Formats: sequence, structure tokens, C-alpha cells
Amino acid sequence: MRVAVGDDAVILREGLARLLQEAGFEVVGVAADADELLELVDRSEPDVAIVDIRMPPTHTDEGLRAAKAIREAHPAIGILVLSQHVHARYAIELLSSGTDGVGYLLKERVADLDELSASVRRIGQGGSVLDPAVVSQLVGRRRQADNPLEHLTDREREVLALMAEGRSNRAIAERLFVSEHTVEKHIKNIFGTLQLPHSPDDHRRVLAVVTYLDSE
Amino acid sequence: MRTKFSLLISAAIAAGIGATYLAAHAGANRPTEPGPYETALVGAALIGCGLASWRARPDNRLGPVMVVTGFVWFAGLLSEATSAPLYTIGVAIEYVFICGFIYIVLSFPSGRLRGTLDKAIVLIAIAGSLGLQVAAMLWGSGSGLRCGGGCGDNLIQVFHDNRLALALLDLQRALGVVLTLTAIGLLTYRWLRASRPQRREVTWVLIAGNATLLALTFTVVDDLLGNPLTSTPAKIWFATLALVPIAVIATFARRRLARGSVAGLVVQLGAPTGPADLRAALARALGDPSLELAYWFPAEARYVTGDGRPVHKPDSGSERGSTFVERDGTPIAMLLHDPALEYNSGLVQSVCAAAGLALENERLQAELRARLVELNASRGRLVEATDAERRRIERDLHDGTQQRLVSIAMSLGLLESKLAPDQSGAAPIVREARTALTLALEELRELTQGIHPTLLVERGLPVALEELCRRAGLPAHLKVDLDVRLPDQVETAAYYFVSEALSNAVKHSHGNEVRVEVSYDGHILTVEIADDGIGGASIGPGSGLRGLADRVEALGGQFTVSSPPGRGTRLKAEIPCA
Repeated sequence: MRVAVGDDAVILREGLARLLQEAGFEVVGVAADADELLELVDRSEPDVAIVDIRMPPTHTDEGLRAAKAIREAHPAIGILVLSQHVHARYAIELLSSGTDGVGYLLKERVADLDELSASVRRIGQGGSVLDPAVVSQLVGRRRQADNPLEHLTDREREVLALMAEGRSNRAIAERLFVSEHTVEKHIKNIFGTLQLPHSPDDHRRVLAVVTYLDSE
Repeated sequence: MRTKFSLLISAAIAAGIGATYLAAHAGANRPTEPGPYETALVGAALIGCGLASWRARPDNRLGPVMVVTGFVWFAGLLSEATSAPLYTIGVAIEYVFICGFIYIVLSFPSGRLRGTLDKAIVLIAIAGSLGLQVAAMLWGSGSGLRCGGGCGDNLIQVFHDNRLALALLDLQRALGVVLTLTAIGLLTYRWLRASRPQRREVTWVLIAGNATLLALTFTVVDDLLGNPLTSTPAKIWFATLALVPIAVIATFARRRLARGSVAGLVVQLGAPTGPADLRAALARALGDPSLELAYWFPAEARYVTGDGRPVHKPDSGSERGSTFVERDGTPIAMLLHDPALEYNSGLVQSVCAAAGLALENERLQAELRARLVELNASRGRLVEATDAERRRIERDLHDGTQQRLVSIAMSLGLLESKLAPDQSGAAPIVREARTALTLALEELRELTQGIHPTLLVERGLPVALEELCRRAGLPAHLKVDLDVRLPDQVETAAYYFVSEALSNAVKHSHGNEVRVEVSYDGHILTVEIADDGIGGASIGPGSGLRGLADRVEALGGQFTVSSPPGRGTRLKAEIPCA
């Protein structure tokens, strides 16, 4: 799988490139800012572009804008946005234009090589990834009587969180040490309780879940 | 002083009796010569009013000038005397008194001639009334000097040419017409350009003076035409002539009356006044609506208006006059007023004396207000500096420490993947280090987010508050009615306000939920946070609420707490958006 990296900090982009190579990815190039990254993506058409959210010149949300630009120009290229902050807002903005091949992770997650390669692969295959910290912010809030989330059992909420992170039924089952069948049952209950339209695709569920959570 | 006045009065009475006698026994009375009544009336008015003015205002030249003019007027009647020397003197100075009148009306109220034109008019008047008269006397006598008969001998006649003498006298009269018309024009022009207090000051004298000058012109023209109107124009002229000194003394007397307004001022100052009231009261008492007050600020060693604007002392000759008020030798205030008031310094001094305490009071208050303004400004600067510093620290942490830590985590990840299976003992240690590092990064993230909210700068208040509420330890309902970006410091203040209030509610309220409401009416941003907890919060020193209040108040906003025990806490901030 071919990957492009955009980060203005040289130690991070070189470190990330090294990690990715170690994990068996082909790094097509590294870029120090959004323009450079867009050019690199245009030129080498990678499977996934990994981009730091904060880059020159304003050091605010250039990465996010670059991600949107790449999505428009190359809908097939997966995008993983890295951030040092848990900004659910940015994750929602990113996912609002579609969840196919999109991810939002905290920067330090990349240090776990297994996690990193699993996430990049999932995005490259058109799946989605959402950082657990963001998910817990979305799922964990608003404990109040009129919130339908309150009607979920603890286990169902756990399943919902893992769904929102973009994990497949099998991954959820493995994580929770239950059968896939049980997971499916939970999901059916969740969708019923939250009155979400049922959808067979793993990653579509993320959009459904996030949109639902954000619309609260 | 008293002796001098008694002497002058005695001399005036003597001169008056003499002149009136001469006027009554004039041999060949011409229409333009004053009769006994006119003689006594004009002379008495001049000397009487002159002495009264002199006494009331010894520093003003007008009094002596009027007295001298009165004596010259009487002396002019010597032209009716039969004795040759007296006759000669009388004829020579017969019209010099007109110069005195012109001087009076031009120099009123200061008693000083203001410009070159004024001085020129008076000098030409002297040249015309005395010079041309004497010149005519060198050539003519008897009918040559317009004497109908029974005149005394002209002792200074050198040549004999009555026609030339009469021509010179006609020239004198023509010159008189030009001069008086010029003076009327000048006076009227000045009146039109004068300020209200200045006008009020000169109106009466101006009317009497202009009437006199007009009547004089009329008389002279009539005389040049051979007196077809006989003595009527001259009688009108003499009557108006007597009005000028009366107008002068009346104006001076009215000033004295104006001082009665000082009593009214004292009564007014007894009531509680504000800065505008004090100014209005002083303006009324001085009759100068344009009055401005400036107070002495010792710290800055300058005069400052009530609203903190520094004021410079006007230059002499500028459009504004100034009076300084002192108490016990220390300056208190400066009055900027119409320059006309400088001719009435007595009134100004009495007003200042009456208002001294009120002015001192007002000065202290103005100083206090100025310090408050400065204090608020410095509070604002402190908050701004704090925010800038926070932004810098957040940036440094993000670009430095956080990145370095992430890079170390990456290296650890790499190391972990490269560990050979036979070194399996090392793997848990590396993993442990990586986990610890992740925790450290998490803490650092929380810290930097608290130091400076990047989302606020990047996405604005509503989004940043949404995120705050999402992260809050209690369910937080947010309602934001705001669709514009506000000034940085306002958004920042509102953000920290909500942030602090939320963490207060989580820590202390024991409540179940929080409501956050933000609205903006185009001028004021209102932020309200209410929990359903135990209440009983108060703004004490060292409490978190004090910090909230400081931030809001530094922007000129208002902070209110309502926290009845058992009924939740409601915090409200209203921040003006300049």
C-alpha cells in the first residue's frame, strides 16, 4: 500500500515515514506543508495520505483543508488526519463529507505500530477510523433523562463506541471477547433504540452514529 | 483719592457754571452751538459718569477720559467769550471733545484702543478737530470762522483770507463725516463678530455711540448745506452725546448687578451637583454659555477636563480667556471663558471664590474618574498580555515538547517492532514506557487546551463552547444565539468564563446538569450559566468566581452571581463589544 505523509515538523514526518516503512508500507514522499502535500498527492496518487492538522502558514487547520481538497480532487485516496488535540468538531467536519476512507487520530496513536498499520490499511480499503478519545467525548456526554443514549446498556454503549471508531463486527467481537452473533444482536438493539436506519456496511455506520451524536 | 474727587467735582461745577453762563449769553448763536441746557447736560453727564466710572474701576482709563472730555467740552464754550485770549483758546479747542467721544466708543469696554485703525481714527480726529481749526484761525477771523457777529478777536491770525479759512473748515467737516462713518462701520462690524457675552457687554454703548456719530454726521452735513434744518440736528446730537457716558456707567453698574448672581450660585452649589451641573451653574452666573472647566491634576502637572481630556492654557490674544482658581496656594481649576469676561474680573473672582469648594470637590472626583479609567485600561492590558502569553506557551508546547514526546513515542514503537523474539523480556518494558508516554501526552494535551483554546481562534465562540460542553464533566446544554465573530478579547473572556464556570459547577455544585446560554444584541454579549446544584456560591477573594469577575470587569463588563442555598447557581456576564 502506498502512502504520502504531510507534517511540518521534520522529526515527526521522518519518524512517521520510517514507522510506515517498517510496517511494510511504501512511502511515496513526505511534504512539509499543505501545498506540497497536494502536489505530492497529484503526482504520485498514493492509496492513503496522512496529514497533520496544524501546518504552516497559519498553524490552525490547514491539514483539514488539505484533506478536503484531496477528497474533492481524488475521492479514491484515503485520508488520515493527525491531531494533537481532541477536537470532535474537526472529526465531524472531516466525516461530514463522507466516511469512506477517512480517519482522525491523535498523533501519539502512531507510536503503536500495529494500530497504525491497521488504521492505515482500513482507510486504504475505504473504511473509517475515529480516535477513541473523540468517540468517548461524543458517546460519553450528556447523561440526562431525555437522551436516548441513556436507554442503552453499558455493553451496548461499548459496542456503539467501537462502531464509531470504525471497527468491524468481527473486531468488536474480538475486543469484547464475545461472538460476532452477539455483536450483531447488540447493534440491532442500538439501532432500534436510537432509531437509526440499519446499514450493512461497517463504515457507513460511523457516519450514522456520528451524525446522530452530533445532531443532539 | 477722596480729595482728588472733591477737587474735581468742585472744578467741574465751576467750569459748568461758567460754560452754561457763556452759552446763555452767547452773542451770535449759530445753530450748531450748544445752548445753556445742552452745555450743562452733556458736561454733567460726561464728568459725573466719568467720576463714577473712575471710582468703580480705577484701573480703567475710560473714567479719566470721560472726565477730561467733559472739561474740554466746557472749555469749548470759551469760544463764546468776549475776551480775546479766552475766545482764541475756545475756538481752537471747540471740537476737540469729539475726539474724546470717539476714543470712548472705540475703546469701550477696556479703555484701550485695540488696533491701528482705531488709533488712526483717533489721531485723524485730533488732526481734523484741532489742526484744521487752528489752520483756519491762521487765515480767518469773524465771519471767516463762521462767527455771525460780536465775536472776540482771533489772536493767532497771521494772514487775511476768510475764503481759505472757510474752505479749511468745510474740509474739516467733510473729514468729520468720513471719520464718523468709518467709526460706525468699524463698531458695527465688531459687534457682528463678537460673542454673546461680548455683545451684551458693548450693546448699550454701541447704540449710544452710533446714534451720536450718526447725529454728528447729520449735523455736519446739515451745517455744510447752510443749516436748512436750523438747530434741530444739533439738538438731537447733543442729546445723544449725553447718552454715551450714561451708557458706559450703566454697563459698569450692570456688571455690579451681575455679581448678585453669585449669591444665586452659592445657593445652587448647596444642592448636590454633578460635573455638568457645576459647569452649567458657573456658566449661568458668569453669563457665558461657552464656559469650560478644566481641573488641575498634580500627578501629571496639567489641566484636564472632567472627561479626562488634557487642556492647554490659551495663548494671550487667543479666542478664549482663562481664569485660574487656587485654594490655599494650590491650583484647583482653570476656567476657559469668553475673553469679554476679562473686563469683568471682579465678577469672575467672586464666582470662583463662591465655587472654590465645589470646584475642589469636582477636581478630586475628576481625578478619581481619570484614575479609574487608567486602572480599567491597565486591567485590560494585563488580561491581553496574559492571553498573549498563554498563546505563546501553548504554541511552544505544541511545536516543542509535544512533538518531541510524540517522536520519542514513535522511536519506542519502532524499537518495539524491532525487538527480536529472544529479547522478549524487553518488550513489556518498552510497551510500559510507551504507555507512560501516551499518558504524559494526554496530560499535556489537557494542559495546553486549558492554557489556550485553539479551537476558539480557529472556529469561533459557538464551536469552542460546543466543544467545552462536550468535554464537561456534567451534561451541559448549550444555546448560542450568535452568528458573528466578536473582538478576540471578548470571545476569549466569554470562553474562559464558561470554562471556569463549568468546572466550578462540576467541582462544587453537586448538580445534575448545567445550562449555558449565550446571546448577542449587537452591543452586549450576554453569557449565562446555571446549574441545578446546592447554590450558596459567593464572590470572595481567592474564589474562582473572583477570577471570572476580574476578566469580565476588565472589559468593562458586568458580572452577577445569584446562588440562593439549595436552588442552584446562576452566573451572568454581560460584556460590551466596542
